[in-house]
Formats: sequence, structure tokens, C-alpha cells
Amino acid sequence: MQKKSSNITLKSYLDLAQLLKKYKGKHEDNRLFALTQKSEELKLLSLWQEKNLYRINEELDSSKYLHYLTLLTSLFGIVLLVFGFFTGFALLSYSGTEPVNVIYLLLVMVGLPLFSMLLSLFSLFTGNRGANFFNHFSPLYYLEKIIDFLPFAKNINLSSLPFSATLSKWIFLQRLQLFSFLFALGLFSALVLTVISKDIAFAWSSTLEVNPISFQYMLGLLATPWQTFFPSAVPTLELVEISHYFRLGDKLDTTMVQNADKLGAWWKFLAMATLTYALVLRLLFWFMIRLGLNAQLKKELLALSGVKKLLKEFSTPFVSTQSVKQEKHLEVKEEASISASETLSDAYASLLAWNYAEKTLLLLQDHNKIKASNMAVVGGRNSFSQDQALVDGLKGKILLYVKAWEPPTMDFMDFLADILANKNVKVVEVCPLGTASGNYSSKKSDMEVWLKKLEQVDSEKLEVIDV
Amino acid sequence: MSDYPKFAVVGHPNKGKSSIVASLSLDKSIQIGNTPGTTQVKRGFPLKVDGKIVYELFDTPGFQRARRVFAWLQDHGDVSADKRVDVVREFVFKHKTNEQFKDEVELLEPILNGAGIIYVVDASKPYGAEYEIEMEILRWCGQPSMAILNLIGDEDYRDEWTRALGQYFRLVRTYNPMIARHIEHTQLLESMAQLKEDWTESIKKAISVLDELYDKKVEESLNIIVEYMVEVLSFVHKEKIKKEEASEKEKEDAKVTYRKKILSSEKKERRAIEKIWNHLDIEKKEISLELDRVGLFSKESASIFGLSQKELILTGASAGVVTGAGFDLITAGSTLLLGSLIGGVVGGVGAMFGFDNLYEVKVLGQKLGKRELSIGPMQNLNFPYVLLGRSLYHASMIAKRSHAERDNLELDNTSFTEKIMDAKNRKGLEKMHLKLRKAEEIEDEVLEEYRTLIKKSLLTLL
Repeated sequence: MQKKSSNITLKSYLDLAQLLKKYKGKHEDNRLFALTQKSEELKLLSLWQEKNLYRINEELDSSKYLHYLTLLTSLFGIVLLVFGFFTGFALLSYSGTEPVNVIYLLLVMVGLPLFSMLLSLFSLFTGNRGANFFNHFSPLYYLEKIIDFLPFAKNINLSSLPFSATLSKWIFLQRLQLFSFLFALGLFSALVLTVISKDIAFAWSSTLEVNPISFQYMLGLLATPWQTFFPSAVPTLELVEISHYFRLGDKLDTTMVQNADKLGAWWKFLAMATLTYALVLRLLFWFMIRLGLNAQLKKELLALSGVKKLLKEFSTPFVSTQSVKQEKHLEVKEEASISASETLSDAYASLLAWNYAEKTLLLLQDHNKIKASNMAVVGGRNSFSQDQALVDGLKGKILLYVKAWEPPTMDFMDFLADILANKNVKVVEVCPLGTASGNYSSKKSDMEVWLKKLEQVDSEKLEVIDV
Repeated sequence: MSDYPKFAVVGHPNKGKSSIVASLSLDKSIQIGNTPGTTQVKRGFPLKVDGKIVYELFDTPGFQRARRVFAWLQDHGDVSADKRVDVVREFVFKHKTNEQFKDEVELLEPILNGAGIIYVVDASKPYGAEYEIEMEILRWCGQPSMAILNLIGDEDYRDEWTRALGQYFRLVRTYNPMIARHIEHTQLLESMAQLKEDWTESIKKAISVLDELYDKKVEESLNIIVEYMVEVLSFVHKEKIKKEEASEKEKEDAKVTYRKKILSSEKKERRAIEKIWNHLDIEKKEISLELDRVGLFSKESASIFGLSQKELILTGASAGVVTGAGFDLITAGSTLLLGSLIGGVVGGVGAMFGFDNLYEVKVLGQKLGKRELSIGPMQNLNFPYVLLGRSLYHASMIAKRSHAERDNLELDNTSFTEKIMDAKNRKGLEKMHLKLRKAEEIEDEVLEEYRTLIKKSLLTLL
């Protein structure tokens, strides 16, 4: 079975959250869906969401949010790119009298990105409160707060979206990397353009007492990533020495003037440093945070209200035991409309016992002290012809014992109808009896069953006795 | 012909055929009554797994004119034993539209279509020879068969029934659908699997599916109970107040809302449990009214489901939470158990004795110029045990309740607490309760430990 891979996006996350608030499906349908799709659970969720998205009639939260996010990202992205570009130009502004300080450039092109990445790392590896603290160092944090007050941001209620503090942190960090990258790209572009269009003299200068050897060593460390394949972009000790610039004095150092043609060589190092630390490393950071964001999205998607149930329904066989056929409902009367009398006569023309054994009939006769000129068992294993012959010979008053706990079957009702149809029979008293252990007393509930059935017989000859 | 096993549940009228089908199919929609003829037509109850039928049960009307049918068969059946089923088939064919034999036709049809026979008798009543005619007819059908002794009443005539039924049926088993639990259900299915070799695999699969389904229901019930406990025990109600201090009316209103919320959570939890076990309509039988008689805030519920004063002290001490304030609470709790809050349910008038010891009413500091009144979480030490006891009791009663049962659910409340909570259990539970009372964050491990303890208690009751 080939498993389809899943890709959780902010859109699919928001869509699923919105959909689950409105619709969760039935177990049977969800299981059937899972069986037909044969995908892993995240992909299944995504497909299920796609299939049922039409159930949301209002505008999707994802559309509103992503529109807001795209607008914000584009706006800030352009602003930061331009800002980076002009910052680069400003940093590289060279009047021809004073060289451009490499240290200053390094602080902005390498130091600042590294510091920002460090903050991102702190933010990543601390809890939400810590992350919130570190995020306060980013200008983006304040810009977004300001944007929230602008009219176009009113269309979306961010607090109503299912973003946990952790997820919000990941989204913020990802965007922070993107904007930092664009800012660095602006810087880098400014550097390249300035180098092409101007002849810039770079130098380095610091109030601290840094000797050229130490400085060159530090630069060598910075240049480690590219020194093997691009050695000309690593400042040599000679370059460091000749470009050491001292502020005091009303004109440039003579060594610098003599080596003016070499001072421009710094640009390769600066370009590589920006490319490596501000752009490539930032891209790596961005990629890493993207992976983290995806993992967090996946985690939160699985924790969305209703997802657990949905996944369970996907994986659990749907078991049904119900009948598809509608029951033909029987209207049951609460109480019978006829009642039973409580006394037996002393004598009967015939005493019959329905479904009893002969010896039981003798016991019954002894128990009730009934005089009867004729006694017989009926029903049970008797054949129809036996019973019919017996019915034909009946006359006068008949007592018919029946088992109270056995409800009257149609077999009995047929038999009773035959007796009642006999013109020689004057009265038929049906007497439901309980079990021997209960002294033959019938239960009220059993009597009710008999009364309800016997009331259907339309005959004045019929009576019911409850002893 | 279908390749899954089918079973027709047949017998004399009013012997519990429909109850057995309702119990086995976990379907409480089947009409069950003591009036003969309640079941008028056969109904199939297929056990479907992902739409595929594993086996099917047929509820059928009872025999009404067995003697006439048998007489007909004998008149037309002077044939060898292997041809008798054809005579029965001929009978059904010829009487399909005959109103006189509609019940017999209904019950014989699934058997002639290959269903195994499950013959049901009421073994709480004496055996009668009239049953032999029915058994003879079924024997003529030549299908694998077993008999079920259903004990509807209090007496027990199983011995005489077993002697008689043993002559006609391969297996005779006792099964009372009213009290049968999951284990008896699967045992009966195992017996059914023995009827025919071809059916064994399907029935074994059904047993495994039903076991899985049962375990899933237990797990789901546990999740609901744990979620409910966490929700209610950590619940805090906040309300904005107009002045510096909350007025008495504001306090009382907030208390009533708080209590309403707790009771509504319990109601919601019960509905969820009933839904899991397919007993949703139990409320229509006014069971909730029965349970409400033992209200959450009444002294009865505390004495039934809560802990005694001694148990409370031991529980508190073992969990390291009995401080001076704790003892105050216990004292207040015991006062409550002895005489306070009588009849105190939702809508009860506010200032009841001991009420303030259950909830902490606080006025919170200013937030954007507004003041808030806060109630909760519940501080009473006994409250979680009352809540949990009631919840477990309800869940166990629902889980055990047969789908053949039509009467109201009644509480049997004696010694309930002792049955589910020993000192060790209470200590573990108290760890969680303490965190919830303090509105602390619950770690996953603590929650899992709590769940395990509740599961242990629930399984004891099932």
C-alpha cells in the first residue's frame, strides 16, 4: 500500500480548525473515507478537510488571516529590503577623504545578524514567557503591534484563531528570519552596487588597542567557511596592516596613500561575510525554523478539538448491530377491559387442562376439590383429531385450566373458539393457574396477559377465573 | 447464499427472544413486552464491521400454531430424514400468504435460508411437553441448533429443561439477557461458533471486534470522566462587579451560576457516557430524576459517594495536604455532611450553611478599571470523591446495563465508596485533586497516573 505524504500548512491548519467547529462527520462516513483513501493520518486529515471544506459557508479564517499575513509580510519585506539597501549605501558612503571603516561594516553586516539569530535561538529554546521577552528585542514585534491598530487589521480577530503562544512564537520567528534576510539582501546589494560604481577605500579603526595580528586572526576565524575555496576573500596581514587607520592627524596615513590600490580588496571579504553570515546562515535558520513551525503545526493540529476523535474514527472499524428493517410496532393496551371472577363453581360438566400432563390434572383436581363428570388433558402432545373429538362431545359448563405463565397462543385460541362454537356448551370458564411451587396462584402480570388476549373473544359464554 | 453465519432466535411466545437479540445486538430499539405477539415480523440484526456483515441475528415471532404446522408436516412428510427440510420448505412456500401461519412462516424462513437455530425457553418456569412439537418442527429443518435457558423469573427449572432440550439440541446454555455482561455475551458467541465449523472464523472475528468495541467504550468513558473531573475541579467562575466590594446579591448570583455550571457539566458528562454505551434514551425513562434525588450538594450524596471524616483526614494526611486550613475545611466538610446544604441543588436559595467553605469567593484586583468576583476552584476535600464516585457509579451502571432492559435505572448505593477506593487509591487521587484545587498546571504524567487510578476503579465496578 502506497502511503501518501502529508504537508501541513497554516491554511490547512486553520481550515481544519474552522471546519471541526462546524462539522465532525459520523463514524461510519469517516471510517469509510479512511478506508478509501489509504493514507497516513495527517494526509487523511488534510484530505478529509479538503473534502468537507464546502460545509463552511462563511469566509474562511485562513483566507482572512493569510491575506493579512501576506499583506503584512509584503509590506515589511519591501520596507526592510529598501531599508537594508539604503543602510548599506549609508555605511559605504565614501567621500574620498576618509576611508570606510570595516569594523563598522562588520558590526552591521555580521554582528547584527548573528545577534539577531542568537536572540531567535534563545526564543526557540525558552518557554513562552522567555520567548516573549526575547522577541521584545526585535523591531518587528513593535511594528506588528502598531499594525494591529490599523484599520485593515480590524477585519481579523487574531485572538479568535487557534494559535497557541508556542505556535505564534514559531510564526513570528519564521517571519523574523525572512525580514532579516531581506534586510541583509538590501545590504549586500548596496555593497555590490557600491563596489561596482565607486572606488572605495576600506580601512579599520578602533579606539580599543587591537593590533593588526590579532585583528587579522579574528578576521581569519570569520573567514573560515570560505578560506579554502576563496582565499582571496580572506584579508592578509599585509592588508590589515596597511589599512589600519588612525583618526588623529589631519590627513591620511602615508602608508595607506601609498597602498591605496590595495585598500579596495576588503570588499571581497565583506561580501563573503555578508553572504555567509547574513544571507546563507539566515536561510539555514529560516529553513530550520520552518521545519520547527511545521512540527509545531502538526503537533497543534493533532491537538485541535475534534481531531483525536476523527483520527480514532478513521482507524477504528465501524461496527453496527442495528436492524435496517423498521419494527412493526405493536400497540399494547395498558390494562384489559375485562376482569376475572375469583370463585370456581363446585361442579362442572367437564374439566379440561390445556397443555398439562394427566397426573398434573389429577393433582389440580385434588387441590381445587372440583367435581367434574368428565376430565381430560388437551393441547400438548394431543393430535388435532383427538382434541376435536373431545370438543364435539362437550356440553354444559366447562372449566378449562391453563398455565398462567404461558401466554395464550393462537393454537389455544383456535381450540377455545371450537369449544365456544359448540352449541351444547353453556359456559366456558378459563382458569389460568400458577406453578405448583406458588400454590397454583397466578401472578397479576400473567393474568393481565390472559385477560388482554381473552377480551378479544366475542362470546358471552366465556368467563375468566382467577383463583 | 450469503457466506456469513446467520442465527434465528426462535421459541414460544414471551420467552425473551427479543430481549436476547437486543442484548446481543446492543440495540435497545427493539420492542420488548410481556404481551404475546409483540414481535410480529422477523428482523435481521447484522453485525457489520466497516459495512461487511460478520454474522446476522434474526428476531422472530413466537410459535403460535405449532401443532397445526407439525400436523401438516406429518401429513406431507412420509419421507426419509434427509428430505424433511424440503417438506418444511414446501409448507412455508404454500402458506406464505396464509394469515393463519404468518408467524410460523416468518420464523421458519431464515432457518430455511441457512440460519442456525437458537431456541429460547424460560427456565424459571416448569418444562412442558407442548414444547416438544416446536422442537420437532425445528429438528425437521436440519440446521445446527442450540438452546438458551433464559431465567425470566426467580425459580430455577434448568435441570428438567436441560434434560429435555439435550435430546433436541447440540448445545444448551444459560443466558439471561437482562443481566448479561460483556463476558457472558462473548461466551454465548463462542458457543454459537461451535455450531458449525464454517462459522467459527466469522464468530471469532465478531468476538474480537466486540471485545475491541467494548475496550474502546471503556477507554472513551474514562476519557470523559477524567476530562469532566479536571474541568469541574479546576473550574473558576468570574463575574464583573460594579463597586469596590461585591454585594451580597452579586455573590449569591455568582454562586448560583457556579453551581449551575457544575451540575450542567455532570449532566453533559452523563449524556456523553450514555451515548457511548448506546443508552441515550435513558433520560426518557426519567433516570436523571432518580439520580437527582441524590443531588450533588445533598448530604445523601456525600455519605454515599464521598469519604468519611476519618478517610478524609487520612487521605489529606497521606497526600501531605492537611494543614491547619485543611483541618478547617474538613471540619466544615463534616458539618456539611451532617446537616448542611440539605436539599441544596440548583436554584436553591443562596446563603446555605457551609456554602462558603466549598467555594472561595474572591474579589480580584483591578483590570482596566474593572473589578471581578471569582469563585472556585472548589476547596472542599470531599467534593472530588463525591463527584468521582457518582461519575464512576453512573458509568458502571450504564456500561453494565443490558440493552434488553426497559425499566428505569436504579441506584444501589450501599458501601459504594469502599468498593472502589482504598487508601492507596485515594492517596494517588488526592495528588491530582490537590493540584486542581490549587489551580496548578497538570503535568501529563500526573494526569496519566490519575487516569490509571480511575480506570482501576472503573474496571472493578464493571
